Amino acid sequence: MKQDKLVEQIFDELKERAKELSCLYEVQEILHDQEKLTGEVIQKIVDAIPPGFQYPEITVSRINCPLGTYTSPDFEETKWEIKVDIVIQNTAIGNISVFYTKEMPVFDEGPFLKEERRLLKSIAERIGLQIYHEQLHSASQLEDIHGYKAEWAIILDMLAQTNPKLLIKLSRKMVNHLCWIGIAEAEKLMEAFSPVFDGSVEPTSETNKPFQKYENGDMIKLAYQVFDLAGNNISKNEVLEYIQKWTREDRSGFLSEILENSGSSLAKISMSLERYYHMDHEMIELSAPRRKSFIISLIKRMLTSQKSLVNVAKGILTINDFHKLMDHIISPMESYGRIGGKSAGLFIAEALLTKEAKQNELIADVKIPKTWYIISDGLLNFMKYNDIDEVIEQKYKELGQVRQEYPYVIQLFKNSIHSPEIIKGLMMALDDFGDVPLIVRSSSLLEDSVGAAFAGKYKSLFIANQGSKEKRLNELTDAISEVYASTFGPDPIEYRTKNDLLDFHEEMGIMIQQVVGTRVGDYYLPAFAGVAFSRNEFRWSSRIKPEDGLVRLVPGLGTRAVDRLSDDYPVLISPGQPNLRVNVSIDEIIRYSPQFIDVINLKEETFETVPLEKLLRDHGKQFPMFNQVASVIKQDFIRPATLLGTDFANDSFVVNFDGLTKRTTFLEKIKEVMSLLEKSYGHPVDIEFAHNGTDFYLLQCRSQSYHHDSKPAVIPDNIEPEKTIFSANKYVSNGLVSGIKYIVYVNPDAYSSLKDYQSLVSVGKAISLLNQLLPRQQFILMGPGRWGSRGDIKLGVSVTYSDINNTALLIEIARRKNEYVPDVSFGTHFFQDLVEANIKYLPLYPDERDVVFNEEFLNASNILVSLIPEMKQLENVIRVIDVQEVFEDHELNVCMNSEQEKAVGVVVKQKDPVEVKIMPGKTPDEIDRNIHWQWRLRNVEKIAAKTNPERFGVVGFYVFGSTKNGTAREESDIDVLIHFRGTEEQRKDLLTWLEGWSLSLSQVNYERTGRRTSGLLDVHLVTDEDIEARTSYAVKIGAVTDAARPLRMGTDLEN
Amino acid sequence: MKSVNYNPFHVAQAQFDSAADLLGLDDATRALLRNPIREFHFLIPVKMDNGKIQVFKGFRIQHNDARGPAKGGLRFHPQETVDTVRALSMWMTWKTAVADIPLGGGKGGVVCDPHNLSGDEQERLCRGWVRQVYKNIGPNMDIPAPDVMTNAQHMLWMLDEYETLTGGRYPGAITGKPVGMGGSLGRTEATGYGAIITLREALKELNMDPGNTTASVQGFGNVSQYAIELYLQLGGTVVCVSAWDQKDQTSYAFAKKEGVNLEELRSISNSFGGIDKSKAADLGYSVLPGEQWLEQEVDILIPAALENQINEENVNQISKQVKIVVEGANGPTTPEASAVFEKNGVFIIPDFLANAGGVTCSYFEQVQSNMNYFWTKEEVLSKLDTKMTNAFLSVSNFAMENNLSMRSAAYAISVDRVARACHDRGWV
Repeated sequence: MKQDKLVEQIFDELKERAKELSCLYEVQEILHDQEKLTGEVIQKIVDAIPPGFQYPEITVSRINCPLGTYTSPDFEETKWEIKVDIVIQNTAIGNISVFYTKEMPVFDEGPFLKEERRLLKSIAERIGLQIYHEQLHSASQLEDIHGYKAEWAIILDMLAQTNPKLLIKLSRKMVNHLCWIGIAEAEKLMEAFSPVFDGSVEPTSETNKPFQKYENGDMIKLAYQVFDLAGNNISKNEVLEYIQKWTREDRSGFLSEILENSGSSLAKISMSLERYYHMDHEMIELSAPRRKSFIISLIKRMLTSQKSLVNVAKGILTINDFHKLMDHIISPMESYGRIGGKSAGLFIAEALLTKEAKQNELIADVKIPKTWYIISDGLLNFMKYNDIDEVIEQKYKELGQVRQEYPYVIQLFKNSIHSPEIIKGLMMALDDFGDVPLIVRSSSLLEDSVGAAFAGKYKSLFIANQGSKEKRLNELTDAISEVYASTFGPDPIEYRTKNDLLDFHEEMGIMIQQVVGTRVGDYYLPAFAGVAFSRNEFRWSSRIKPEDGLVRLVPGLGTRAVDRLSDDYPVLISPGQPNLRVNVSIDEIIRYSPQFIDVINLKEETFETVPLEKLLRDHGKQFPMFNQVASVIKQDFIRPATLLGTDFANDSFVVNFDGLTKRTTFLEKIKEVMSLLEKSYGHPVDIEFAHNGTDFYLLQCRSQSYHHDSKPAVIPDNIEPEKTIFSANKYVSNGLVSGIKYIVYVNPDAYSSLKDYQSLVSVGKAISLLNQLLPRQQFILMGPGRWGSRGDIKLGVSVTYSDINNTALLIEIARRKNEYVPDVSFGTHFFQDLVEANIKYLPLYPDERDVVFNEEFLNASNILVSLIPEMKQLENVIRVIDVQEVFEDHELNVCMNSEQEKAVGVVVKQKDPVEVKIMPGKTPDEIDRNIHWQWRLRNVEKIAAKTNPERFGVVGFYVFGSTKNGTAREESDIDVLIHFRGTEEQRKDLLTWLEGWSLSLSQVNYERTGRRTSGLLDVHLVTDEDIEARTSYAVKIGAVTDAARPLRMGTDLEN
Repeated sequence: MKSVNYNPFHVAQAQFDSAADLLGLDDATRALLRNPIREFHFLIPVKMDNGKIQVFKGFRIQHNDARGPAKGGLRFHPQETVDTVRALSMWMTWKTAVADIPLGGGKGGVVCDPHNLSGDEQERLCRGWVRQVYKNIGPNMDIPAPDVMTNAQHMLWMLDEYETLTGGRYPGAITGKPVGMGGSLGRTEATGYGAIITLREALKELNMDPGNTTASVQGFGNVSQYAIELYLQLGGTVVCVSAWDQKDQTSYAFAKKEGVNLEELRSISNSFGGIDKSKAADLGYSVLPGEQWLEQEVDILIPAALENQINEENVNQISKQVKIVVEGANGPTTPEASAVFEKNGVFIIPDFLANAGGVTCSYFEQVQSNMNYFWTKEEVLSKLDTKMTNAFLSVSNFAMENNLSMRSAAYAISVDRVARACHDRGWV
């Protein structure tokens, strides 16, 4: 009969799948098939037992009974045993034992499940019964299992004995199902299951009376009724299928127990994953919703709480991915931490790439370097273990104190030891890595929560990882301690204070990653490395769209591509427009090519920056992918280097990655990886990568970070028309240029009507002078066409980068001439200098529709002559507008938003100087670079404003030197020049008054920087006679170059 | 509407006019030489990488070819104007004439910004340019060379297109090719050496022993390095060299009283002529602000970096000891400064004579290409010596005979040579 066959088939399958059931069933069948219980039969039963256990391969069994002792093949006794007696009429006549031959995670009873004990008990009962029957000479007549009615009876019977809870669960599910398909009788049964269903109590109502509890025995009876009903209403096949499906689902119960409990420790999670992994996967079926729920729990528990990232990850990760991750996690015993933002980003990207690799050749060979993770609460564990947890309070101290105590914290951390479980984990990691160089990176939870803006606040350390294991372990723990200590450094704490993140419980994960590279001489380095952004913020041609992306490529370690360098340049390529390069002429290509390379010196065991030329001369032949990285320059001809026939001693090289970009699929690969990641993340991303000569490695992936002032600026609305200076709606990049006090405007019409070459050249000279005279980063330059044009001077003011390097923004104006709008240069003549110095660029098209170009404002005032009297003849060409002269207490902000293709220059009320001094999102580096002069200048402006000229007999108050020039460092003093015309008494008075300021500024500086100075103001008084005679500092007043800058006095007098 | 703005062609015409006045040229000759003899203006449609067509504007202007095939560079420039190209083509005529090589003057260009073009697009543009004009250029008519924003690669694409269209191999159709692909040895040295050859002749004339002279050099690029090399070989002493420092965005002068050691400086310099200032200090050089190169107590100044370096502002800071200025760079001395020099009796070797070594070597490349036989470097350099020496002597004799400054004499002699050639051919 067909029907029978199907039933049999399903039954077989069920047997196979539901191990315990099938084991029991098997035993029953063995017993049933035999006329008489013999040694052979017992042996068969012995063999049937292991498959009923969780890990059949490592399970052995033994039966002791009156017939003798029987064991599995390869039997051995171990300490992991479960044992039940065979009992007849209350007397033990033998026993059944099961052993695991290997240590497995602990569950209910050692490594065994309580269901397994029940299984053994059932088998023992059956054997006992059989022996008893034989003893009574009356063999039991078991029901025919192939009989029409018997299938559930068997299954339900077995379940009733081995797993009554499951039976009740199954029947509940079945009754639900029956109700669902509209079986009226089922509803009555349902009432029995849930008394609320009769309508007497609304399940959602807030009754205080507890529901009545049903006893187990009643429930089992109910279960039989349910399945009887099912048998009458749906086909047997269906019933069996449901039983099978629900049974399998139930197998994963242990996972949900652990995962859905937020209090489960990492160790428990790890154990349950281990168990899941070792189980026969066919045995477990997770319904889609259940699987999803597990994955989400795992993601939240171990990776991230960021909603958007959870959404990305849940579609990509599998439970097995987490199992693999667990193998590389180092954690304290009772850990409840995560792996941190950086690690999570890479882990998710890896899973995504692996998933896509199957159908995408380009990314099939993208690799991720071997990585181990220390879980985030490792930091707290470390501090507790060493009893130094009071360091957490660091963050609530005064910033000055934090700075002062930071070196002590570092030493404290470096002299502390890691707990044994961490050391054990690190040793495993070191065995896994071998002696390749490693990078120890922070992977902070804050970075994860607040986004990439926090990136780069903490340390990353390279270690050479050479020598004995003990030495390597010491280096590694030392590096970890130092990275831990950086949590309590002044810069991150300052940042957290400013961003109201101080109370956020900072935990820091650590990522220990193999450095991608290969040995070249004594050095270890990748062929090349870099960062790629899926949005291009620095377009050098109108043909490049933001979505064409940007790659910053360097030879060697990627540190030189990640950071902006002042004296070296990475190669910039837009993967969407790979053939449009920033640098075109041979001169440009050479000038803006990398000159240095970052490497790990294996001999000295240090991280080093070495001149590229020297490295190539000495070890060029070994340099991986040399022919793709570098080209040979012969006079004015550049051709990719060849593998053979390159004369490393005499040839000249330039690193331009021509071979790589033109002859390999590298850029396509980058594009593919980025677009895949961008698509999954739903927003732009940036990645770090490296290539060791053989393989391409992804090192990091995160949402595209913006340099603090390269974030898309909010374009303000409702601006008063007279306060809008200009606007633009094409080729706009991102950023906010704020606090601008001066605008230098070279009028395009006036410039082009200059008659002779000398006048054109002198405009460039005047700009160069203004660049020195005006306060750094507080002015912008606006001029015609192409700044720095080298061919035809008429196309743009003839300047070099050093003539404009203090501007905050460079604007090129394309005015329509007859029917023709000239091209602008996009700053190409010093494009890379602008990029590295973060000088913004904006082209303006004043004659287009819907844009503002406020000529009235630009013509309103001009202080050129007061700044450079000898350039009077250029007054109508160069206009220097002091914003405050036109709108008192105002400054210019230029808001640029690439996404909206909009930019606007608008005059706004000056912010409170204190507010402006540190912009959130600056990296510590930049704070170092800019902060010292900025707050010095603002404070000295304040002092001038508070200086009463009559009281002190002061005619002029000037600032000069490093504060004015924007080069002040931590210990620089503030050079003040005072034009004095008072009495001796006033002079004393003035000096005392300034001394007070000087000392308090010194204290402020100490708190900010930890540097002690004896007063910060360096005051120079000059008299009318000095000025007349142009002696000493008097020459600074009105000097052509590096003149002292006059400050407004007496605008803020208290009385 | 007549433009009153700065126009390089008007400047070039004015220069010509004064030389013509000096020479008393007739109206017809003036009319012929005041303007280019032939101009080609054409459009170059280029299929861009995205499949769209963009049309570029191209020129080739042959100012004069009475003395031989026109010769001159080809520029890629975003706002190229015809007048700029006209002026440059005229200057080429004078340059070949002053060096007394049998070539005329030309110049070409394409209005484009290579920053906006991919390599493939540039190749199609180069080939397109040749297709428009190949009938009017060639080894016997007009020989292009690299210029602003073009390099050897562009030349090879163009040569390949030219040879494909004309069905043969004519390496002499274009110069500026790499060695091994029709290029000449000695090109790197030519300009710097050429300048010193003229200096050597000037010293002879002034009865100065090179071994007793000192010099200060601006720049440490190709031109300066080879100029220094040959000058040291003559026995001279370079006491100061200035070089641009990319990192500091300023230039420094490196001075040593007993004279700089060229090899030493080369070993601490980078490929674009920057000298490592701390290493230089370690080697005993005093590192001074860049502009002090011209304040040194020396006999000879060699500005070999940028234009307009000696101007009315700094000309008076120059030591009275200075006797000779060799203009290795283009236009390093402004007219005002030039006038001061003349007044003080400083001997100027004007730029288009002093740096004519470059164009002379291009001529040699063309000659070698035409016969498809290439000389050794020594051969090239010895022929260069002969050419440059003769060129200098003619100019200085002309200056003495006619009581002219070297600059005016150089102009006059070249205009005179071209005018004669036109006359001899029966054109005027």
